[in-house]
Amino acid sequence: MLPTISRGLHALGIISIMMFLLAPVILVFPISFSADAHVAWPPSAWSTRWYVALLHNEEMVTAFRNSLVIAGCVTALTLVVAMPAAVALTRWKFWGRDALTSLFTAPLLLPSIVLGLAILVIFAGYGLVGSWPGVIIGHLVITLPYALRVLITGLSTMPAFVEDAAGTLGADPWQVFRRITLPLMTPALVASAALAFIVSFDEVVISLFIAGTQLKLLPVSLYHYVESWTDPLVAAVSALLVLGTLGIVLIVERAIGFGKAVSK
Amino acid sequence: MYLEVESLEKRYGHFAPSVSDLSFSLGQGELLGLLGPSGCGKTTTLRMISGLVQATSGKIKVGGQDVTGLPTYRRNMGVMFQSYALFPHMTIAENVAFGLQMRKARHADIAKRVESALAMVHLSGVAERKPRELSGGQQQRVALARALVIEPDILLLDEPLSNLDAKLRDNMRGEIRDIQQRLRMTTVFVTHDQTEAMAICDRIIVMNRGKLEQIGTPHDIYENPATPMVAEFVGRINRLEGQWRNDGAVAVGDSLIRAKDDGGTGRVLIMIRPHRIDLSASDAKSAVSPEENAINGTIRHVTYVGDTFQYEVATTGGLLHVEKATSSATDPFQPGDTVTLRWKTRDTLTFSTEVAG
Ligand SMILES: Nc1ncnc2c1ncn2[C@@H]1O[C@H](COP(=O)(O)OP(=O)(O)OP(=O)(O)O)[C@@H](O)[C@H]1O
Ligand SMILES: [Mg+2]
Repeated sequence: MLPTISRGLHALGIISIMMFLLAPVILVFPISFSADAHVAWPPSAWSTRWYVALLHNEEMVTAFRNSLVIAGCVTALTLVVAMPAAVALTRWKFWGRDALTSLFTAPLLLPSIVLGLAILVIFAGYGLVGSWPGVIIGHLVITLPYALRVLITGLSTMPAFVEDAAGTLGADPWQVFRRITLPLMTPALVASAALAFIVSFDEVVISLFIAGTQLKLLPVSLYHYVESWTDPLVAAVSALLVLGTLGIVLIVERAIGFGKAVSK
Repeated sequence: MYLEVESLEKRYGHFAPSVSDLSFSLGQGELLGLLGPSGCGKTTTLRMISGLVQATSGKIKVGGQDVTGLPTYRRNMGVMFQSYALFPHMTIAENVAFGLQMRKARHADIAKRVESALAMVHLSGVAERKPRELSGGQQQRVALARALVIEPDILLLDEPLSNLDAKLRDNMRGEIRDIQQRLRMTTVFVTHDQTEAMAICDRIIVMNRGKLEQIGTPHDIYENPATPMVAEFVGRINRLEGQWRNDGAVAVGDSLIRAKDDGGTGRVLIMIRPHRIDLSASDAKSAVSPEENAINGTIRHVTYVGDTFQYEVATTGGLLHVEKATSSATDPFQPGDTVTLRWKTRDTLTFSTEVAG
């Protein structure tokens, strides 16, 4: 009797926490299908009019496309820079290695408003504000530490001596990297790519500072939109974002779950 | 000599060297054991030979050729790691094939050689499995097959048997020896288990704190240890402290003991293996031959361990451990019994602890 009750309470507790955390996310979906002119609960009628409106909102569409392109570039650049850096920081022995690792991952601890301001001050002098390279570099400042952390963890938890073993079997350092290190760090690579993409895609603060008014980015446009409008268009955008994020998380889960299955 | 190591030294940072002044050479097809306590530099030595760490100084030659500066992947040495280090993302067959692929062997050739290598270690049925689907003993045999299939000039084994249970260890030990003999593979076998080393090695190096203590056949190492450390490392042994006398005997407490070496001056350490000492009831008087030591003592403690009784005997020379095979025919001695201990003078090892003068 008692165990049943306690188990029931336990389940109830978990469900209420989940509800509390997920309610806003879930609520976005019904609201996005509202036929009302304003966000209201419950909607008085259902329609897809706000999705249609979204497709015809030129600023949102442009911002969405820009954000996708920037997140793509940022992700690619993050991997290109972070992977060799992670290999160097874990595999090479040199003086000051630990200090460098801490330094490179430190920006994770800085409030992004501080970073944003600092980057703005620097970029203003080079005319980078409002430019594509400027935004991409600004985002890299945030995504690189994340990716570096994940990759360093991935590299340092690799099974002991497998790279040495490959060397003794006649593989030169490049072959060791391609045949052994790279396959074994695939889960970490997928995870850091997903992280970089998501972080760049919904970075508001840095984008607010750097993107200026010409270069439209989705989080910034959304932010400005809700300042002046209260219609469910934002709910439609949010619903798409939630679905997109969910998609990425599923891909990562499969890749890492799969990666775990092949490694250990 | 096929493998020659000359005054090899390795320092990590500013610490005392992990290996220093290490020289030895191996003939083609010889199996050398590298024996020593934890941290004495066995793995470091092996890694220097394979090129996985760079020696601080010294030379390594294979077949007369200096390989000290060659990177690992050009050395053609098969290494078996203590942790096996199989590639987790490849099947067993792919693991074994890896070295052949790196050597750009032909496809059909690779398949054939992988198959015969797996057959050699009795693992033909598991080629398509992943390493994590095998038991420890099977993984280890894969590691051996992977190291052998490339037909290395030298085979280096780092405690290959340490993760196995006792029975499997004995089997694998024999198998490794068989394969090594069949292929006439020059091999260095690292272990900290003296029985293992004695059982299969042609010669053994005992290392201590990065230095070579002794190199010799298992028999040499056991019967004529060069230092007290070697004597203690390769089996249980008693140690007594004494003083050389002018007549060639050693005074230990109130007793006189004759040793294999006769003559020396100053303080001396005497060592005798417990199972080389004979025990008899002390009233059974018999003449003492000149090749024998005999002293009286009292049993202090008896431990029964199945195969043997282990006695602690208080003698006039000090406390001695004695091992006797158990037998159903005779009763064991009891604590308090007075006994006579006899052992051959040639079983009495001496180590001078101070230089004469
Ligand atoms: N990468 C390293 N950096 C610094 N010191 C090291 C390194 N590798 C080994 N050492 C030191 O060198 C000494 C010898 O180590 P080594 O691994 O060769 O010992 P071992 O004889 O193989 O011991 P074990 O039986 O425990 O495996 C040890 O004191 C160890 O601390
Ligand atoms: Mg070791």
